[in-house]
Amino acid sequence: MSDSLNILDIKNLTIEYSSDDDVVKAVNNVNIVISKGKTLGLVGETGAGKTTTALSILNLVPEPQGKIISGEVFLAGEDVLSMKEKRLLEVRGDKVAMIFQDPMTSLNPIKTVGEQIAEGIRIHSKLNKKDAAVKAREMLELVGIPGDRILEYPHQFSGGMKQRVVIAIALACKPDLLIADEPTTALDVTIQAQVLKLINELKQSYDMSMLMITHDLGIVAEVCDEVSIMYAGRIIEHGSLEDIFDNKMHPYTKGLFDSLPNIEDRRSELKPIKGLMPDPTNLPSGCAFHPRCDYARPECSVEQPKGKKISDSHYIECHLYNETTENKLGGTNE
Amino acid sequence: MIRYILKRLLAMIPVILALTFVVFTIMYLTPGDPTARILGNEYTAEASAILKTELGIDRPFIVQYFSYLGGLLQGDFGRSYITMAPVSDELFARFPNTFTIVIWAMVFCVGVGLPIGVLSATKPNSVFSNITMVISLLGVSLPIFWLGLLLILLFSVNLGWLPAGSMNHGFRSIILPAITLGANYMANVMRTTRSSMLEAIRQDYIRTARAKGVDKGSVIRKHALPNALMPTITVVGMNIGALLGGAVLTETVFSIPGTGRLLVDSIGSRDTPMVLGCLVIMAVCVAISNLIVDLIYAYIDPRIKAEYAGGEA
Amino acid sequence: MAETPEVKTYSTKKDFMKKFKKKSRFMELWYRFLKNKPAVIGLILFITIVLLAICAPLIADYNEVAIKIDMGNRFNPPFTDNLLGTDEFGRDIFARIVHGARISLTIGISAITVSFLLGGALGSIAGFFGGRFDGWIMRAMDVFLCLPDMLLAIAIVAAFGVSTLNITLAIGLAFTPRMSRVVRAAVMSVRGNEYVEAARCIGARNGRIITRHVLINCVGPIIVQITLYVANAILTISALSFIGLGIEIPTPEWGNMLAEGRAAMRQYPHLVIAPGLAIFFTILSLNLLGDGLRDTLDPRLKQ
Repeated sequence: MSDSLNILDIKNLTIEYSSDDDVVKAVNNVNIVISKGKTLGLVGETGAGKTTTALSILNLVPEPQGKIISGEVFLAGEDVLSMKEKRLLEVRGDKVAMIFQDPMTSLNPIKTVGEQIAEGIRIHSKLNKKDAAVKAREMLELVGIPGDRILEYPHQFSGGMKQRVVIAIALACKPDLLIADEPTTALDVTIQAQVLKLINELKQSYDMSMLMITHDLGIVAEVCDEVSIMYAGRIIEHGSLEDIFDNKMHPYTKGLFDSLPNIEDRRSELKPIKGLMPDPTNLPSGCAFHPRCDYARPECSVEQPKGKKISDSHYIECHLYNETTENKLGGTNE
Repeated sequence: MIRYILKRLLAMIPVILALTFVVFTIMYLTPGDPTARILGNEYTAEASAILKTELGIDRPFIVQYFSYLGGLLQGDFGRSYITMAPVSDELFARFPNTFTIVIWAMVFCVGVGLPIGVLSATKPNSVFSNITMVISLLGVSLPIFWLGLLLILLFSVNLGWLPAGSMNHGFRSIILPAITLGANYMANVMRTTRSSMLEAIRQDYIRTARAKGVDKGSVIRKHALPNALMPTITVVGMNIGALLGGAVLTETVFSIPGTGRLLVDSIGSRDTPMVLGCLVIMAVCVAISNLIVDLIYAYIDPRIKAEYAGGEA
Repeated sequence: MAETPEVKTYSTKKDFMKKFKKKSRFMELWYRFLKNKPAVIGLILFITIVLLAICAPLIADYNEVAIKIDMGNRFNPPFTDNLLGTDEFGRDIFARIVHGARISLTIGISAITVSFLLGGALGSIAGFFGGRFDGWIMRAMDVFLCLPDMLLAIAIVAAFGVSTLNITLAIGLAFTPRMSRVVRAAVMSVRGNEYVEAARCIGARNGRIITRHVLINCVGPIIVQITLYVANAILTISALSFIGLGIEIPTPEWGNMLAEGRAAMRQYPHLVIAPGLAIFFTILSLNLLGDGLRDTLDPRLKQ
């Protein structure tokens, strides 16, 4: 069973997507733990399996293409994947809620934002229509939108405003765990900071735990307590914010940081990770990262590296650290 | 909303004017001398000239058109060349029959096509779904006049369950004509609903709703269906004209005294004012139903409503 | 520590081409089409019908079999001496159906050609130039669209009288408004593309740009619609003949065969079943083909 102090405990989760003739392991033996009140950053490139992992927490992996092969997802001690439909409906939106990536398409175009916020409230709090509307109005104001706009439709809002509405929907029932799936990716740069700040403030005041999915390390630095780095369906490095930022060990993690422009030294060259994300239907043998890895060794293309605990908080999957925990990447670039 | 309806009603006027003009022109071009047919053996040059003046067909085209239009505004469709009785009498006596079967055909095509389309989309890989796909594919290819004959053979001749024609048996006599007339469109509605539902179910806002804890049934009913209805309404709306066209065939198959049958008979007897009347009344019906469809659109989709309010997009 | 990436070498030019030359666009589409089972069934069905129509004189002589009255041979049941039986005048129904196919296909295809020439011209002018042209042409077409094409065809036939030419023109004109909308939409979707700008820059005339650069690039959706419209046109011919405003007896046409067979269908159902099936399979084949082409040319739309 799971430790009930952990709001989320994902154990050995494996999810496959199958199309006509291909099977893709989107999520491969993933373990994630979030303790109460903490924020975990799930970082990785597009297609690494972050969103699929998140959807499994709501048991909303799109069927029939997506299939959960194995694993358990404990939400406050209860396994979401083996829940009855009725209990699942109680949990979704109430215990765990999700902010989606694209606010443009995440709202129903033909319902007022008020109806959409109130819908979740009515399901979980048994309020009548009128009280739910009052509550929805409060939520709208909470995310910084004038309450009078409750009767307006999504097309009357800008992208940033829509994302605020999506946040209001997610927070309407004060969930214990908030999943934010790249909540700022689809927004203008100037709006991104505002939305991020809003999420962070609300998280504090509601005392929620959060899973922040992103590929932006800046966001991670700002909001997260812990970080998991995901590559091709696997978590290849996990650690506290300090572990990852100051003592990163996996070559991929290092690559991610090297790809960031350095504001202090503008003449320094960007060092992008060479190559592209592998074709998910045809992953490289052994460690999926080895064709792009500067430190690849012969065994990397043969054998999947085993996970290794570097410290209580720091976990890594890489052949480089088989014999020793000494940092092979030569210091940090901080 | 009321302003929008008024606006649309005003916009209909030039359409109806143009329609009557087109139909009038086509009919005006009909070769042959109508007086010769009316007078028959009593035809003389003088009698013909007198009759032409009486009918007003010796006047220039444009004058004839405007006098016809003036008549229309007062509900006067002219007089039949055959019976010399007002066209409107015959027209309004017959029109309710056509209207009845068209409405029931619509009820049939929406009442059957829509729910089956929705169900089939919610279980996209099931046997049921595949069967509905095949049925809808066959359904859109069925010549309805043939289907009518087959239905008569089966249900009237062999089984003796339903009457084969006329409108004298109450609702029982409407069943076969309505199914016949609606068959193509039922298949069409089924297909459209299915594919637009499949499309709607894939949308992100469906996931948002499910993440809120909305149960599957409500997600379909409250979120997917209203969005998926738009293409279905378009199909139904666009097909009202085709239904009226199909009514001509259905009335022929089932010997129903409706406007469609009247049109064909009048063409046979070269009764131009009657033909004109039938075409005008059907065209006006289509124009009105297009308006209704647009209003339903605006009612369902706030984005369209906003456009008409003249407000921000 | 990193391995040297393996460098692939190609010994001959031929080898290289084999590896990298793309299949031609047409072949690629053809393979995609072949994967679509209903579409292939539609194509085979349609080719069969076309072949039957072309070979009709070899199957049965028009004057001696298809329209010759033989009162001694009335109402023969199907699958005897006559494959599909004989009608109330002792004529072989199969012979009449294959000769009827010639008429339906010829009129159907010529009518749609008429509507394509007319509607295509109007639609491409409206779509290419936009603005006032577009407004006027489309408003006029909207008026015609208020008249169901069946009724418009009936009106035109009524005005000009029943003849093969008039029926072709009537159906062609009746389909013009819809065709112009399809062409307009297709033209508008490629109008802004850069190769059109490029053609304009090198001084090509508008007419040339429309035919050589614009229309050629919106062939896909237009072909799909043409296929479906031919089906509709054939259906309309039969419908007109069925109500007595189309092809006149004794010329065999599926619609008038149904109308003739109606009187005796209670005793001899084969009189109406066979011609109806002929219409049904023709429409079905074209619908399958049209849907298949749409999926092939625009796979995104596939459900």
